[in-house]
Amino acid sequence: MAEVTEEKMKWGMAIDLDVCTGCNACVTACAMENNIPFTGEDESGYGRGLHWIRIQRYWHGDYPEIKPDYSPMLCQQCGNAPCEPVCPVFAAVHSEEEQINLQVYNRCIGTRYCANNCPYLSRVFNWFDYEIPEPMAYYLNPSVTVRRRGVMEKCTFCVQRIHAGQEQAKAEGRPVQDGDIVPACAQACPTDAIIFGDLSDPQSRVSQMARSQRSFRQLEELGTEPRVIYLKGGGQYGG
Amino acid sequence: MTQKYTRREFIKLSGLTAAAAAVLTGCGPASRYVVRRPYTDMPEYQQTGLSTYFATTCRECPAGCGLIVRTHEGRAIKVEGNPAHPVNRGKVCSRGLTAVQGLYNPDRITGPLQNGSEISWDQAVAQVSEALKADPQGVAFFLGLAPDHLFDLVSELTAALGAPPPVRYGAYGMFDARRTLTEAAKLTFGVPSMPFFDLGESDFILSFGANFLETWVSPLAYARGLSQMRRGKNNARGRLVVIEPRQSVTSGTADLWLAPAPGTEALVAAALANLVAARLGLSLPDDLASVDPKEAAAAAGIAFEKLQEVAAGFASARAPLALPGGSALAHANGLAAARAVLVLNALVKNLGRPGGVFLTPADPAASSFADVQDLVARMNAGKIHTLFIHGVNPVFELPAALGFAAALKKVPQVVSFASFPDETAALSTLVLPDHTLLESWGYQRTLAGADREAYSAAQPVVVPLHNTRAAADVLLSAARQLPTLAAALPYADEVEFLQARLLPLLESRKGFYDAPEILTFWSQWLQYGGWWPQRAGLEAPIVAELYAAAAPLTPPAPLASGELHFYTYPTQLGDGSGANRPWLQETPDPMTTVMWNSWVEIHPETAAKLGIHDDDVVKIVSASGEIEAVAYLYPAIRPDTVAVPFGQGHSALGRYAEGRGANPAALLPLSVNESGDLSFGDTRVSVQPTGQRRPLSRMENRHGVYDHAE
Repeated sequence: MAEVTEEKMKWGMAIDLDVCTGCNACVTACAMENNIPFTGEDESGYGRGLHWIRIQRYWHGDYPEIKPDYSPMLCQQCGNAPCEPVCPVFAAVHSEEEQINLQVYNRCIGTRYCANNCPYLSRVFNWFDYEIPEPMAYYLNPSVTVRRRGVMEKCTFCVQRIHAGQEQAKAEGRPVQDGDIVPACAQACPTDAIIFGDLSDPQSRVSQMARSQRSFRQLEELGTEPRVIYLKGGGQYGG
Repeated sequence: MTQKYTRREFIKLSGLTAAAAAVLTGCGPASRYVVRRPYTDMPEYQQTGLSTYFATTCRECPAGCGLIVRTHEGRAIKVEGNPAHPVNRGKVCSRGLTAVQGLYNPDRITGPLQNGSEISWDQAVAQVSEALKADPQGVAFFLGLAPDHLFDLVSELTAALGAPPPVRYGAYGMFDARRTLTEAAKLTFGVPSMPFFDLGESDFILSFGANFLETWVSPLAYARGLSQMRRGKNNARGRLVVIEPRQSVTSGTADLWLAPAPGTEALVAAALANLVAARLGLSLPDDLASVDPKEAAAAAGIAFEKLQEVAAGFASARAPLALPGGSALAHANGLAAARAVLVLNALVKNLGRPGGVFLTPADPAASSFADVQDLVARMNAGKIHTLFIHGVNPVFELPAALGFAAALKKVPQVVSFASFPDETAALSTLVLPDHTLLESWGYQRTLAGADREAYSAAQPVVVPLHNTRAAADVLLSAARQLPTLAAALPYADEVEFLQARLLPLLESRKGFYDAPEILTFWSQWLQYGGWWPQRAGLEAPIVAELYAAAAPLTPPAPLASGELHFYTYPTQLGDGSGANRPWLQETPDPMTTVMWNSWVEIHPETAAKLGIHDDDVVKIVSASGEIEAVAYLYPAIRPDTVAVPFGQGHSALGRYAEGRGANPAALLPLSVNESGDLSFGDTRVSVQPTGQRRPLSRMENRHGVYDHAE
């Protein structure tokens, strides 16, 4: 088997808001992939729902010229993440290997400092153990840890799929190719608004989208260096 | 009934691996059965610790999308889209994704029941056989829109028996007004076909209430089309204009949304046809030409300049396309609306061209609401001794005014094949639970969602979890006990029936794979998840006598004082069967971000006039009934219209669905349009505050909407 030199990849995501329809398929796909428990009407009403990705809907204009602005919001995998330095137990860490922001569940002691410091409100906390009655637990994904009460969690860029893709490529003796690794949200997205890939490869689809004149980053002015790139929608653009 | 497992039992159970055996090799009769195998005798493709993927077909709606299901040691883990499938090309919607929550739902019916007590399958089959022996005119089948193979089998069965053909109806068909669309296609093109609309190659889409991003006909296929249209060829971004009274996910994504008064869509379509014809120098038939565009715009409450702008864009686009959606067709003048929209397509000559309209081979076998009314009349008259119900929950889905629940009491034997304890199963004498879609064999003809004819294959991805049995097998076993039927239905089991039905596909040699005989064909059928030709190709509609029939173009009566238009629409809960999937409940509604409940959308101005605030419980009263729901001040709806989503308000269907929200079916009238489709869009209501308040669970306020101090 040929040796493949391992190069570190800089994982990133681009979301084209012009084709995002706000349908929420990504939200469901994320939940089903990542063993996210459902919390029920009361808990989700209190804002304790455990959505790792959510569609923020803001109204724009007045009737009859009104239009919703959708922005899928998930962990931005900041290069300079505000959640990391505040964790007293190093549970919110930057992984050397994937260069993303990961939560180490068995270190987390539930201070919730990280969530308070996250400008994107993308971290969610397990306020309780949420029951999944038998036999519903059968569909739990064996590749993803099941979290318990008192633990913070958030989007991992489907790190289990990154690893599976890397292992697959390694076993086949080839480098990871663009499109090999697709997180659950991008895989489901009916309009292909979400594109995932390696930002260090200028030819990858995500890099090409990042160079678009429509691209912007959320709350860029905070200096968080988000790894999620948004492409402005609404059709009011040139090119 | 919840099954309890100890840890030891659980490990034992996981060791018994589900295997739809010989997916790749497919030889020998054993390949048709799903078998449990111990760890020591694993199929060769099953490696401990590695996942196995099976191709199957989604049944959460009738579109027939291809799925790839990840299974791990005999358990279904995750639903993904089949990338090769011509309908959804690897994509999957929220409903399909939560299919595993249906399979592993704790509230499933675990075995055959007679009047609530358990019986054996032999007793159950004997009862069905008994029913088939009695007067065939008294046997009725009421089937849902999926799966197709069962509909085909039941059609064969009723023909052999001399019983009336099955009635096929459901909320999806009701909301799309499918019969109206196929009738309009017959009037315009001479063929009663569900047309396929090539959104992807179009550059100007004009939709009349077609909520194709939510549930209309084939949502994933059309969402992909929209994406291609937006990304455009040569960077020319296409435009989407939507005409409907309430902003949906589809019109929220549109470049222009126009809100006509409900019932005036036909006039708006006719007005646009006039404006487009004038621009192109074409003439229109008298009934359409007699519509004055300015008067139509005034009746619809749309600025005439906006209609001119839309007509100009439509007439000058490279590949314009007009879509006739259900909410525009579900009116007394629905057929006229559908025809006017198809005429718009004919005017710009997009028939059979890229970005245009095509005819599909899909068999428009679905019944109309009038056929269901006829069935209910026969039930009430005591003419039916046995009613079989599969794939539909009529007590919940149909207008309460129809009195389906009361009519069920007049039928001595009601046989429900429901997998879940739904409202209809609760009123049935015999409940013979079918497998859920991930445990089932079958096929679905894709419904106007692909650029080619396609059959989608369904196969079990896991061993049936409970003591359930395929409805097709129950009927075949029962038929075998009757000499007359046994000869007409010579199939040993469901798989043999499927193979017999697939034989013509093999013999047509049109598929993208070929096989010398059926077993080889079968293995590829299962592996690829279906059968379809290599190349795209659909028939082009021919306008033989475009201006033949004239349906009346009457505007709706004006609203009385205190009256509001009522609008209901399907959400991610689909026909209501999704309400027992907790993650469909917890996935926020895209427009309102509400979870786990129903709401009534009221324009803020109207709410202020009526003294209604956000989260107030209001009573909505129509001529047919009344419901209570929580007010959501919705800025993107006409001030003279209120809307309630469909799917909640279950009185059965398990812990996640019951006692949650309200069912707008209670408000719907029984009036039908010329094609026999329910004109639910003509419902009118009054809205009153009740003085109560109940905060909705909304994602839009991430910090919660409840007062933490209370």
